[in-house]
Amino acid sequence: MEGFVEGLMTAIQPINIIWIVIGGFLGTVVGMLPGLGPATAVAVLIPVTFGMDPTSAIILMAAIYYGAMYGGSRSSILLNTPGDGSAIAATFDGYPMAKKGQAGQAMAISAVASFIGGILATFGFVALAKPLASFALQFGPSEYFLLMLLTLSAIVSLSTGKMIKGFIAMCLGLLLSTIGIDPQTGVHRFTLGMPHLAEGIDFLIVIIGIYAVGEVFYNFLTIYKEKKKQKENQDMGKTWFTKEQWKRSKWPILRSAPLGFIVGVLPGAGGTIASMISYSTEKQLSKKPEEFGKGAVEGLAAPESANNSASVGAMIPLLTMGIPGSGTTAVMLGALIMLGVRPGPMLFENDPVMVWGLINSMFIGNIALVIINVLLVGLLVKVLHTPAKVLYPLIIMLAFIGTYTLSYSTVDFYLLLLFGLIGLVMKVLDFPIAPLVLALIVGTDMEQNFRMALTSSNGSLSIFFSSGISVILMILTVLSLCYPLILKLIKNRKRKEDQTISG
Amino acid sequence: MRIIKIGLPILMIAVSLVFLISSFQIPKATLGSANGPLYFPIGISALMLILSVIYLVNELRNIHEKEEKLTDVFSKRAIQLIVVTIILGIIYALTFETLGFLISTILFLGVLLFYLNGWRKWLVNVIVTVSFSFITWYGFSQLLGVSLP
Repeated sequence: MEGFVEGLMTAIQPINIIWIVIGGFLGTVVGMLPGLGPATAVAVLIPVTFGMDPTSAIILMAAIYYGAMYGGSRSSILLNTPGDGSAIAATFDGYPMAKKGQAGQAMAISAVASFIGGILATFGFVALAKPLASFALQFGPSEYFLLMLLTLSAIVSLSTGKMIKGFIAMCLGLLLSTIGIDPQTGVHRFTLGMPHLAEGIDFLIVIIGIYAVGEVFYNFLTIYKEKKKQKENQDMGKTWFTKEQWKRSKWPILRSAPLGFIVGVLPGAGGTIASMISYSTEKQLSKKPEEFGKGAVEGLAAPESANNSASVGAMIPLLTMGIPGSGTTAVMLGALIMLGVRPGPMLFENDPVMVWGLINSMFIGNIALVIINVLLVGLLVKVLHTPAKVLYPLIIMLAFIGTYTLSYSTVDFYLLLLFGLIGLVMKVLDFPIAPLVLALIVGTDMEQNFRMALTSSNGSLSIFFSSGISVILMILTVLSLCYPLILKLIKNRKRKEDQTISG
Repeated sequence: MRIIKIGLPILMIAVSLVFLISSFQIPKATLGSANGPLYFPIGISALMLILSVIYLVNELRNIHEKEEKLTDVFSKRAIQLIVVTIILGIIYALTFETLGFLISTILFLGVLLFYLNGWRKWLVNVIVTVSFSFITWYGFSQLLGVSLP
């Protein structure tokens, strides 16, 4: 409780409130750009946190993160172009609503749904984070290794249909993480005799390269194709939703928040899956499922609530165990490490002010964002009409400057371009990017934990079966690998049943 | 298109082979377990090799399937744009320290904007280039205390 109050005091310091508002606004703007999502927003804006006090920095980054989530749904609703996976579900009913001239109502309900989802999830965070942190204290090197393995395999197998590509991306990330001096023995690995590589490849460069430069390159592919779209429906309609709409959305929002939160806490899952599950759940529960996809207000409200609460839930494994569950949280972990903050179970003991400050800032941030989004609808819509051709060069320039501030060396510019190109190729050929980024960030820790576990058992692999937690993690990993196969089996059986029925 | 569809898995195989072979050439550790630094890279690159071979086989199997995204890439203008951006990036890297932040950034951003946005909107381009270069310079070097050349 003490920590909570202290954190509240930290969060309501004027300087931090200013950061929350700035971060939320910047995040919203970047998130609104078609094709760019929270990971890009955080990656491009990381350099802004340089030289800041770590608590303010993490508050600012979290604000950018959920600001981008808010923003992502704006472009889903208005342009039918989601900025990232978690905003896809918002296009299903949000865009039809906009086409019906209810854009203003759609944006208002999505802002309020996100707000409620975020707030409820923050309560969940308060309840769950501390116990989970003390539970994580029991983890030794072997448990940590297995937990990371589970996270990686879960994130790969959840990108269904591209398992092989996902695992290749993961291997590439793990291999990249071994470049440099081995921290245990001081041996140089894969440095090609270049002193610049001895410290390893800074994963922030990879992140900025892939998420900022690569995404812009990817958008370049279609930039000339955008012929003059038929005049978008400029009529915003009312800027606030009706009582009737609220009545239809109330329960879906409240149901989706805990659902999204739980999905967010799970390793490998995240906003995308949370919003999809909540959408299909609501469709099944609805008395009028035929309206879904044609502008049903609850079909917009439910996933918006779920993805925001998932983004808060995802902070739990990130902060208590240092294990990111998605691409975006991996980016945040990278930024935290750079700031000298080492997330893990001890963070709650060592730095309660930062953790509770962050949690309280989420309350304030959600309130601030709902105000920003409702009051500034007009201004934000104008941002959407800023020509992409002006914005993309600016993002590339920011990526370069961000890279420079990391090491004060222009050698990294070439790496940045290289990873931008790799990111482009991966997107074009449908490789999932999150496994690579995640593997690169946890790779070093994973290897060190693996070797420490083996050293403690004198080289016997039995250490990985020695505790109950290890065995459970092992089983979960195997299950997550089989999950796509099981899914396939069920689908096949269903198809067969359908055939026998129709036959 | 076929070249890319098959070329990429072959490139992956090559990359994993390079990693695998150079893993064996990692010097023995003088501290702790001598082979300690070896296991992980060898295991991972071997795994990647196997996966890349499976990937290649899969691609060979459905080689006739059309991939729309791939034809997208082959729009000439898009490729040109990306290549120009990369070349500009390299020039930016070369001039960043000699010309200083402000001049090199104005050049980089300006050329890219004029190329992408066209000459007709020259006023917008100039205003955006100069103002954003100056704002970032001011923001980073004065407000955030980052020393820029």
